[in-house]
Amino acid sequence: MRTFYIGDDVQVEDAGPDVAVLVVGGEVDYEVSPQLKAHMMRALKAGRRRLILDLTDVTFIDSTAIGVLAGVVEKLDETGGGSLSVVCTHEKVMQIFEITGLDSVISVHPSREDALAALAPAG
Amino acid sequence: MRSQLQTAASSASELHVLARRSELGVARKYAEDVAAAFGLDADSRYEFVYAVNEAVTNAIRHGASDEEDMIHMSIVADSDRLTFAVRDRGTFVMPEVDGIEVAEGGRGLALMASLVDEVELHIDPGGTTVRLSKVRSSGLGTAQAQAG
Repeated sequence: MRTFYIGDDVQVEDAGPDVAVLVVGGEVDYEVSPQLKAHMMRALKAGRRRLILDLTDVTFIDSTAIGVLAGVVEKLDETGGGSLSVVCTHEKVMQIFEITGLDSVISVHPSREDALAALAPAG
Repeated sequence: MRSQLQTAASSASELHVLARRSELGVARKYAEDVAAAFGLDADSRYEFVYAVNEAVTNAIRHGASDEEDMIHMSIVADSDRLTFAVRDRGTFVMPEVDGIEVAEGGRGLALMASLVDEVELHIDPGGTTVRLSKVRSSGLGTAQAQAG
């Protein structure tokens, strides 16, 4: 039984060519995290530096997926900067961000619109 | 394969699965079902299942030589405490994703410790056993168990 999905990247016309919105849903565990990593690395290789990961439909995120997000932040820092924003309102998922300290290196927003509005300027 | 044993003082069940990532959902369902039957509230169930997932992930990653190896799990329910155990044939290592830097790994044990009441690692030459205990916070469930 498949308990997750990784959606197609969403194009945001007005946000700029370096913005990517990635969508994931369901239970993000060790079966999913390598796919999530590959998906996010493809966006980085395509020149996207301001990433929004929409986790609105995620109900579970394990330590390997948290590690992927921390790795993306580190990769951005090492290669000239950028940002990773997450869209999430699930109380337990946000608790995991807090315990792992991920919430100190990413910004968490209640909606995709809020995340887009809060994007740091390009460059 | 799932089995159950029940006595007056406690009940125990076991689950044995292949060491495959696709079995993680099965392990979570097992923990969820037992925790619900035991009477953990929704928050405690989530935390228990989360910790179980971390322990089983670690066993699959580091305790198995291939996907045909088995992962052995058990849950014992005492009057006020649910104890999960997973045994594998490897040496305990923090969970992380293949081939990436330290920044990405090493959070599994801290998460387990944050979410359950007790974490115990038993490492011997034959393998590693991780035990996680969650205490039932409500006095009502305990009273019912003793009365029953």
